[in-house]
Amino acid sequence: MAERPEDLNLPNAVITRIIKEALPDGVNVSKEARRAISQAASVFVLYATSCANNFAMKAKRKTLNAGDVMAAMEEMEFERFLQPLREALEAYKKGQKGKKEASEQKKKDKEKKSDAEESDKNKDEEEEEEEHMDEEPEVENEAEDEEVEN
Amino acid sequence: MAATLGPTQGAESDLDPSVVEDDPRGTDGEDENSQQTGATTAPQSRLAKLPLARIKALMKADPDVTLASQESVFIIAKATELFVEMIAKDALVYAQQGKRKTLQRKDLDNAIEAIDEFAFLEGTLD
Repeated sequence: MAERPEDLNLPNAVITRIIKEALPDGVNVSKEARRAISQAASVFVLYATSCANNFAMKAKRKTLNAGDVMAAMEEMEFERFLQPLREALEAYKKGQKGKKEASEQKKKDKEKKSDAEESDKNKDEEEEEEEHMDEEPEVENEAEDEEVEN
Repeated sequence: MAATLGPTQGAESDLDPSVVEDDPRGTDGEDENSQQTGATTAPQSRLAKLPLARIKALMKADPDVTLASQESVFIIAKATELFVEMIAKDALVYAQQGKRKTLQRKDLDNAIEAIDEFAFLEGTLD
């Protein structure tokens, strides 16, 4: 990616939706304000990532984990986010686990049925992968499991 | 699964209680979604409104970042949502002071200047 990090914008429609849902009915948002918020959100990601990565590096870990992000939020004075983030993380982890089981279950079913209908299970399998920053081999998946709840 | 547990622990409850603000209906139809993980239509991605692939791309821009767990990408996505909500609401206060119903760029600027948590944004926006 030869773009500046700041050029990576988050989808406008999603940003707009988040803004609208946060504000009372009848309030409008100018295009310039929306664009500024979107930019601010990108900067937030960059700053939070950098902050979280410092924690990972301090702990001599190569993999940034959820705990690092939580620590970053505190560091950035966004303690108010911690509780909702913890809850969301719980739900996410459960969902991930459920998907893994569902994916394995589907495999079994497929073997039984010998039907080609379950092509979407490939999508589930992709989701098992870690978000690799480099093209690291699959073995890094194990790292995710151990790093999980620091 | 029991849905009778207390709200905050999320122990054995369904996915929903802790993520009430997310709208789990259908795909977003976000054509900008370059979902390498194919997470767009799975219910799991409904927990985060922002596309994880885009978040991950941003994180990758940091040369010091080697690897990031899926969870960390998700949490940053979620935190960013909360951030957007927060800054929009804080900016609104200034619009209201100006007796306006439309949030403008200057309201953002005012909020950034006034609120400590937004100090990191100073000088970063076009």
